[in-house]
Amino acid sequence: MIRGAVMEKLHLEATQYTPEISLDPNGVIAFTGKSYPENTFDFYQPVMEWLDQYFGNELPERTVVNMEIIYFNSSSSKLFFDMFDMMEEAGSEHALEVNWIYDPENESAREAGEDFIEDFDKLTINLIEKG
Amino acid sequence: MSINPDEKLIMELEGLRERFNKTTDKIIRDINRQKKIMERSDKRQRQEYDEIQKRVAEVEALNREIEETQREVVFTMGAIGESRSKETGNHVKRVAEYSKLFALYYGVDPDQAELLKQASPMHDIGKVAIPDSILNKPGRLDDEELEVMRTHAQLGHEMLAYSTRPLLKLAATVALEHHEKWDGSGYPRGLKGKDIHIAGRITALADVFDALGSDRCYKKAWDDERIFALFREERGRHFDPDLIDIFFEHIDEFLEIREQLKDDY
Repeated sequence: MIRGAVMEKLHLEATQYTPEISLDPNGVIAFTGKSYPENTFDFYQPVMEWLDQYFGNELPERTVVNMEIIYFNSSSSKLFFDMFDMMEEAGSEHALEVNWIYDPENESAREAGEDFIEDFDKLTINLIEKG
Repeated sequence: MSINPDEKLIMELEGLRERFNKTTDKIIRDINRQKKIMERSDKRQRQEYDEIQKRVAEVEALNREIEETQREVVFTMGAIGESRSKETGNHVKRVAEYSKLFALYYGVDPDQAELLKQASPMHDIGKVAIPDSILNKPGRLDDEELEVMRTHAQLGHEMLAYSTRPLLKLAATVALEHHEKWDGSGYPRGLKGKDIHIAGRITALADVFDALGSDRCYKKAWDDERIFALFREERGRHFDPDLIDIFFEHIDEFLEIREQLKDDY
């Protein structure tokens, strides 16, 4: 991808195995649903490329990342770690916040959020329990 | 000003050390993440599998409940029909067991044999629609009354035929065809031979065998020799000859069912 090119929105509809993904260059990024694709890294490749390009471009005032993942496999966890690495790096010079949203009944989603907070001390991750 | 070779070497080594440390940190971090991901994943798998086992057990319990309910409803419907036809006690249960045994020896697939076992007790359900004046009439029915009485086959079929469930569809067939005779002299359609559904042929024989061998308020049970003589006589007339052969070949098993499910008086 070409740095400095005009960013376009990227929207992926949810499937049985993948979440709805909405990437908006105005600074709103959202993942909603389940994530257990057959080949996680292939599936997320365009997303990671979009993010790479987004953070390489001129950024809006702030970026909000809303993640509401109700079910995910272990390679998705790994991928989220990689993605947060990228965000942590960008976040050092940019106002970026991650909202990790989970249902109170969903213990593994909450624990994953706690793991991310523990691992990324320079990234703002808010745990948000759904009411 | 030139840098001396030692200083250059030191600078290069420091650069290498810095990159090495960075890479090492990253590898250590990744190993720790991987470990965490594995632990979380193992924990979740355990929970998920526990949950699946719990749910499967629930579904199995529900299935058993449904099957038992179905069995009870079927026997109750059978008993309702039989209560109208002056049959008593374990008649419907014996007919059910005989029917299954006939079906298995005839070569019907075991699932279908089980289904017939459950369907055959409903063969007389149409009698609920026959007026008491005819049903309970002492003595012989006149032609007109007989005509009404015989509508129970068609009526039973109509009661059950609305269903798409295999069990009730089979019961509808049994209700319609259990008074057909092998030689075509039965009713309501006068079907002949193998045009009569195997379920109808089997239930006809099972029902007659049990009715003749049981005491009723209006008659004594026939003794076995008399029943066997009738069966030999009606082989290929009233009854499917193959079923009669099966009966005599496995007579011990039929008599054992009768013994186990005999009525207590």
